[in-house]
Amino acid sequence: MDYNLREDIKYTASHEWVRVDGDIGVVGITSYAQHQLGDIVFIELPNIGLVLEKGSNVAEIESVKAVGDLQMPVSGEIIEVNKALEGTPEMVNSSPFDDGWILKIKIKHSDELGTLLSIEEYKKIIESEGH
Amino acid sequence: MDFIPHDDKTIAEMLKDLGLKELDDLFDDIPKDLLKTQLNIPPGLSEPDLLNKLVKISEENKVYQSNFLGAGNYFHYIPSLVDFVISRSEFYTAYTPYQAEASQGYLQAIYEYQSIISRLTQMDVANASMYDGSTALAEAAIMSTIITSKNIVIIMEGIHPEYVEVVKTYCWGQNIELRIASQDDLMNNLSEEVASIMIQSPNFFGDIEDVVEISKKIKKSAPNCLIVQVMTDPTCLGVLQPPGLTNIDIFVAEGQAFGICPSFGGPGLGIFTAKQKYLRKIPGRLVGKTKELNGEREGFILTLQAREQHIRREKASSNICTNQALCALSALIYLLSVGSHGLREIATQNIQKAHYLKEKLALIPGYEILNKKPTYNEFLLKCPDIDKFIIECKNVNILPPLRISSYYPNMKNVLLVCVTEINSKESLDKFLDIASKFQENNMGDS
Amino acid sequence: MDTKIIFEKSFNRSNRNFITKMDVIAKDLTEIIPTSLIRKELPLPNVPEVEIVRHYVNLSNKNYGVDTGIYPLGSCTMKYNPKINEVIARIPGFSQIHPLQEDNQGSLRILIELSKLLTEITGMEGFTLQPAAGAHGELVGLLIMKKYFENKNILKTKIIVPDSAHGTNPASAKMAGFSIIEVQSNEQGEVPLDHLEYAMKQGDVAGIMLTNPNTLGVFDRNIKEITRIVHENGGLCYYDGANLNPMLGVCRPGDMGFDIVHLNLHKTFSTPHGGGGPGSGPVGVIEELIPFLPEPCLISNKDGMICVERKDTSIGRIKAFWGNFGIILRAYSYILALGAEGLSRVGRISVLNANYLRHNLKKRFHLPYDRICKHEFVLSDKGIPNDITTEDIAKRILDYGIYAPTIYFPLIVNGALMIEPTETETRNNLDRFIDILFKIYDEAKENPDILKKAPHNTPIGRLDAVLAARTPKLRE
Repeated sequence: MDYNLREDIKYTASHEWVRVDGDIGVVGITSYAQHQLGDIVFIELPNIGLVLEKGSNVAEIESVKAVGDLQMPVSGEIIEVNKALEGTPEMVNSSPFDDGWILKIKIKHSDELGTLLSIEEYKKIIESEGH
Repeated sequence: MDFIPHDDKTIAEMLKDLGLKELDDLFDDIPKDLLKTQLNIPPGLSEPDLLNKLVKISEENKVYQSNFLGAGNYFHYIPSLVDFVISRSEFYTAYTPYQAEASQGYLQAIYEYQSIISRLTQMDVANASMYDGSTALAEAAIMSTIITSKNIVIIMEGIHPEYVEVVKTYCWGQNIELRIASQDDLMNNLSEEVASIMIQSPNFFGDIEDVVEISKKIKKSAPNCLIVQVMTDPTCLGVLQPPGLTNIDIFVAEGQAFGICPSFGGPGLGIFTAKQKYLRKIPGRLVGKTKELNGEREGFILTLQAREQHIRREKASSNICTNQALCALSALIYLLSVGSHGLREIATQNIQKAHYLKEKLALIPGYEILNKKPTYNEFLLKCPDIDKFIIECKNVNILPPLRISSYYPNMKNVLLVCVTEINSKESLDKFLDIASKFQENNMGDS
Repeated sequence: MDTKIIFEKSFNRSNRNFITKMDVIAKDLTEIIPTSLIRKELPLPNVPEVEIVRHYVNLSNKNYGVDTGIYPLGSCTMKYNPKINEVIARIPGFSQIHPLQEDNQGSLRILIELSKLLTEITGMEGFTLQPAAGAHGELVGLLIMKKYFENKNILKTKIIVPDSAHGTNPASAKMAGFSIIEVQSNEQGEVPLDHLEYAMKQGDVAGIMLTNPNTLGVFDRNIKEITRIVHENGGLCYYDGANLNPMLGVCRPGDMGFDIVHLNLHKTFSTPHGGGGPGSGPVGVIEELIPFLPEPCLISNKDGMICVERKDTSIGRIKAFWGNFGIILRAYSYILALGAEGLSRVGRISVLNANYLRHNLKKRFHLPYDRICKHEFVLSDKGIPNDITTEDIAKRILDYGIYAPTIYFPLIVNGALMIEPTETETRNNLDRFIDILFKIYDEAKENPDILKKAPHNTPIGRLDAVLAARTPKLRE
């Protein structure tokens, strides 16, 4: 299955994506992740100003039958959350890479960006999960 | 007796179908030395023998003509339609309504229960119920630590002592620090680290606390600290200010008073309600209204299940699976039966009758009402000779009040008296007669 | 059909049918209670009695119970609920007894006698009847583990839970302050001994929570090895008794080597499920753990009087009063009715019925773990034509006027259909269930649309769970 993955963003093995612009990163979950979760009904967004390490859970994404954690792809401070998702969490299903972005972070260590996956590497992860 | 329909021929045919000879072949995979040949349990009984035996055991208990005992479990009149409805076997022999389309009856009833509890308490959200008042309070403590990410819970004096014990056990399980504070030193205990303060009103001793004032004070010095209110006889809400109109964040109660017989203290009903903003952190089941996928008709379904253990597993805020559905149904039918006019009248009678007794008792030499605040249907009575008083109650077929020293050993000679709408004037006067008989200047005569 | 909710049937008419006449002279209420504490509005409906009765009789007609027909929910043991138990629970000498009254020997006798019976049935040494439900029992069992190790000054922070466990197991462990080590079942549906041993050797592991037979309905043949490995590494073994029914009079958790057992009286011992409660989840323990049981504990005096025994080592109280006495009483009545022989027939026939269904249904449906099962077994939706899902099958089963099995559980089988018929179903009912499932299989091949849009014959069509969760409407 083709998940309309994008070339211009970076991925994580836990199915987040980051679009980096200077020291700012926009974070969301991938089209594959939203497909696995099914219809998303609620997203618990973090407080602005929170500083978290790479890999820590930052938001919870609920569907009817499952719940997933959004992990910080790199360490940083939360500077904005997508308030529109409070009323329309389904945007993460319909537009995971655009309107369904979840949060913006100020990246703490730019060297951590090197640990993120390219589209090719991420595709391999999806395949290894059997899809 | 047993309730297995097969005869020997059927069993033999079914075994043959499986290619087996005897029932024991079904257990070939169990190590031989684990197979139990015979349980050391008496042979089965027929229905009449069973009934006789249990009636006989029940006679070792005593049912009294009138009751003055409350303390968390209350004698109120139960309208006959309560038992009629909960005896419909489509309700009581059902499981949790997993298949919504074949469980619309129960789902709608639970939705109606949530609605009526929400109206009664004026709280935004009521869940489908918990085990009982004590565990509902413990779950509220845990929920408050999850919402606030803080780890201290303060229990105010006056909470039912068994509830305090339950909260202690739950908090120990999760390493939550529990402090017990009196109203006077409450403010000294308040700090940024406190997740919630729990208060009972009317409290265990009968006092109606001024929750509005207390909660205002708390919110003023600790705006992020949650306030949890608990009560053990919510019939008082027929008259008293509902928690939803105060600063209460989570309100829980024991719902046994709503149409559930005492039954030695269980099953009861854990009423659990909260403000809307805490919806996603509420433990337990919730029923919601929705629509057909391929149509326009409205129906009911278990919802927000991603909060619960079967999806969230160890990340769930509680391990609770079910509610006390049949008890919730009892409470619903009770509240509908009496209606708003009836509940107001019931609460009023509880207040008036208890007050009548209080006033008269206070006039008898040696007796003292210890409550300084207004009371609902319970109050503390200091009496000259508690032992004689209790024996005499039993002699005249009255279930005596609670000896409060059974929970508070220092409070000797004090009874916790409970009067509800079913205590007739005659029974109240009989109670007064006993008091007069053992009044201070009269002790030698008895 | 009448679909109004009860609030729409209210009249503004006072109903005094259920209120005694006020016979003391009433004062002005505000003389007793300050006005600021008195509520102004009380927005409860006032519905005439006849309308209340009709409303709920009609609702009951839109609900399915064991008394309606076969209720094959796996792991729920939906057996027939004997009516005599309901009569007994309503004997005034039980139902009208206050938990704090002194003349209570009858009630205490029920508690102590049932404890003894459960001790014999499970091979444990002591019991508490306090827990109000199975999950509540799990919490108690784990708190006992916690206390046991605390008492020995040994730090244990982890619990092993196999991936086939009920969802409550990890949630209960967390409530007792433990973190989880999940062990994957092998292709036989059993706990792999090498993985278990490896996990146990990780140091601070308090023990294991296990269901046997497990949620696949499979008896773990290595059970004695499993409990031995856990014990040798300083752990305790917890038995989740949700699946005890097939073991009645056949094989006891105590003999398997378990230290703590919780039971579900509403499953194994026939008390009604009540639509999701009240239940009862007693916990049994070996002798060494008796000091940690929750309060209150009962003992029988020399003169036959039963009284409360205080223990400083107890985990404390976990519920007000004495447990769900009304449920405990029904279970006691059931065990007395059946006796030793009746109980062991329950175990054997529940297994016969399950295997009869398994053996016949596997002719069409995929059975991932194909061996003699115990009380239940698990099919999957693999190989069902036209992308028909487990949910489609379940909804279509409702159309035939019976209830569906447990679906999508256990999680280790994709598209699971978990089936438990219990011992109280006749062969005719079992045959009819098989026929219906075969018919549905054929429909999946020939007319898949009828499954995808099912149910058609229920009071309402398939409901929108997504809408319910996105915009929760939880009250009127």
